[in-house]
Amino acid sequence: MVKIKICGLRRFEDIEIVNKYKPDYIGFVFADSPRKITYDLACQLKANLDSKIKSVGVFVNEDVDTIAELCRNGIIDAVQLHGEEDESYICELKEKTDNVEVIRAVVISDDGNLEEYENSNADYLLLDSGKGSGKTFNWNLVNGDSNKKLFIAGGLNSDNISQAINEFNPYAVDLSSSLESNGFKDELKIKKIMEVVKLSKGRYGEYGGQYTSETLMNELFYLEEQYNHYMHDEEFVSQLNFLLKEYAGRPSLLYYAERMTKDLGGAKIYLKREDLNHTGAHKINNVLGQVLLAKKMGKTRVIAETGAGQHGVATATAAALLDMECEIFMGETDTKRQALNVYRMELLGAKVHSVKSGTKTLKDAVNDTFRDWIGRVHDTNYVIGSTMGPHPFPMIVRDFQSVISAEARQQILEKEGKLPTAVIACVGGGSNAMGAFYNFIEDEDVILIGCEAGGKGLDTSYNAAALNKGKIGIFHGMKSIFNQGEYGQIAPVYSISAGLDYPGVGPEHAYLRDSKRAEYVAITDDEAVNAFEYLSRMEGIIPAIESSHAVAHAMKIAPQMNEDDIIIVCLSGRGDKDVKSIAEYRGVDLND
Amino acid sequence: MTKIKNAFSDGCAFIGFLTAGDPNIEKTVEYILAMVDAGCDLVEIGIPFSDPMAEGVVIQDANVRALKNSTTTDDVFEAVKAVRQKTDVPIVFLTYINPVFFYGYDEFFKKCQDYGVDGIIAPDVPYEEKGEIADYADKYDVDVISLIAPTSKKRIQKIAGEAEGFIYVVSSLGVTGMRSEIKTDLGEILGDIREVTDLPLAVGFGINTPQQAEDISKIADGVIVGSAIVKIIEEHGENAADEIKNYVSAMKKACSG
Repeated sequence: MVKIKICGLRRFEDIEIVNKYKPDYIGFVFADSPRKITYDLACQLKANLDSKIKSVGVFVNEDVDTIAELCRNGIIDAVQLHGEEDESYICELKEKTDNVEVIRAVVISDDGNLEEYENSNADYLLLDSGKGSGKTFNWNLVNGDSNKKLFIAGGLNSDNISQAINEFNPYAVDLSSSLESNGFKDELKIKKIMEVVKLSKGRYGEYGGQYTSETLMNELFYLEEQYNHYMHDEEFVSQLNFLLKEYAGRPSLLYYAERMTKDLGGAKIYLKREDLNHTGAHKINNVLGQVLLAKKMGKTRVIAETGAGQHGVATATAAALLDMECEIFMGETDTKRQALNVYRMELLGAKVHSVKSGTKTLKDAVNDTFRDWIGRVHDTNYVIGSTMGPHPFPMIVRDFQSVISAEARQQILEKEGKLPTAVIACVGGGSNAMGAFYNFIEDEDVILIGCEAGGKGLDTSYNAAALNKGKIGIFHGMKSIFNQGEYGQIAPVYSISAGLDYPGVGPEHAYLRDSKRAEYVAITDDEAVNAFEYLSRMEGIIPAIESSHAVAHAMKIAPQMNEDDIIIVCLSGRGDKDVKSIAEYRGVDLND
Repeated sequence: MTKIKNAFSDGCAFIGFLTAGDPNIEKTVEYILAMVDAGCDLVEIGIPFSDPMAEGVVIQDANVRALKNSTTTDDVFEAVKAVRQKTDVPIVFLTYINPVFFYGYDEFFKKCQDYGVDGIIAPDVPYEEKGEIADYADKYDVDVISLIAPTSKKRIQKIAGEAEGFIYVVSSLGVTGMRSEIKTDLGEILGDIREVTDLPLAVGFGINTPQQAEDISKIADGVIVGSAIVKIIEEHGENAADEIKNYVSAMKKACSG
């Protein structure tokens, strides 16, 4: 992830703010500047600074021994040079300290050639328009890639910083004046910039990224570029909106579950009826977007993984509609428990591959879909089914699914005149949850709750609750949280629900968990099956076993809430596909 | 500078791969030494992983067999230690990144240095994510081997510009596995890479016959063979040493023209 330096701190309040938001570096300015501080003050500020944040001393032509002294006393951890210091100066400085990190400022005025600094003894180059002028330099002036790690400075703010990061792929960004109001550091501006930087370049804090085969890298960049292009293309957007409305049946209803509400006796419960979409689940929102995009990109074939079969059916549907060749990869175990969906996909003209490797479930289906794609990038797009995989997939899927919360937010305001107390959704990879949460993230009072598959219980190894039981790792193209065993082998997971039976979770959920914006609970098979039956009898709605995990949590918390509280449950899919396995779970033989 | 350059000092190198722990860790040591005896110039040892996404079925199955034997990352280090008592041949690990991340980068790369592993190939760590391991690898003098694929095109410049050890040129689209024909215009890709770097260029993915090895040896500095060797191990289990030797000798001979 791109590192962040906040420069020009000079008050104890400033230190309190950075301790809260934890940039990687902060800067003390010792050169002439409105932000100049004394060594004594720096010493006191440093004593209050979180030890994980490195302090950088900013100098212009300072005496080497003075700087070395500051390093030795632990007042500064790195040195930033803005004057005429030459290479012998840097060598001397490094010798007189314990090889202190040196950032050498390069003013990009009319000649942005960095070649002459390639062999500098400095550890980093800092590109700026002047000595902390606060103005943006002409980014076009910088020629080629530098082999030095770069700090980018000069007029960066929350509006232009993502572009700067994309442009330079810097080691760090350096901000100062844009984070001030009335000449002093402004907490809200710092908070905002930290958010923007953390979420840039396909990162969600430390999660996300693009950990995948070299063969796919150019294709992923192309996909991102085309996605950004078409999302601003009026024709594409209106075509997609037309399909969502006239084909998928959007907007989906926000239904007040009155009997359930009265029975539970607490919060008012609304169901966001994604089960009423064409093909019976939220998956269609994403596939219409992705398959239409693939078509625009000139691809003739789409491939997808599927667990329960919902995403496979949705992809096969969109492929039929948009006249694309379609192949679906599904774990052998899942093809058995969801045989009907296999036949549905075939009816829709798709070829279904039964994946026999590994645990023969969703994660293995993902493996084989990637393997297929690596072999046919030129004519094929991987229509990934959840907010997972390498960037840009988690972003694309989240954006296409965010229609759920865009609608729900507006609908609840129309019906109730206020926002919900909580939004609840089930989480496997996390696409319906990300869609249901997204437009509520900035409504900080709305509680966001994801329900993972607790299987036979968190105290057993039969669950798929990554955020509750997993560890950070790198798999399926992303850094995120995964269920893994000793030595980082991906662990077999279990859930009654094939759609939640995945040993990881999308990176944005991992980030929402860590930043405490969302909470994630585990719901057992038993609780989910009870909820499945409860909603069927109480409201005449048979929910997907996946969505039943969210219903189950609503059943738990609604009675503890007040009548003026509101819960929105994302009913991500319908349960027809699950009837057989629920009967089996209850010991009912349907063939009798 | 690691020992890796030694592999390329005497004509076109033959680079042999096997998955550690298949059929068991003792046999892994024996088979590595058999390859070296037969003229293998650089050994690529696969650390088994539950989900080897860039592999075809042959190597996938080897991973399954190795993990069934409960082969661990520590076992693989022990195998290297045993091999190192007999030979100085350059050794690189082929590993997916999660087992390395889980082990702890610092500890993993320190062990690589201590046990004599010269490089690491991580097929799910592209150029953009190299920062994940680069500093640790650097600290313990382990080369991070870069891959260049037929789809790399404009990326060649930056990948090759920062590469170390040798460059692993992926011959074909798709996953590892034996192919009857390599369709990519390798000459063009190798030429593009050579404009950027003097590092040795080794070609892998799909190569399994002496004829293929001979053809590629004319344009590349190394030939990498994995699935064909793993297939011999699959077929002969604990008695594969002679077959491996015969095969590697024939391939090495083909590489030497």
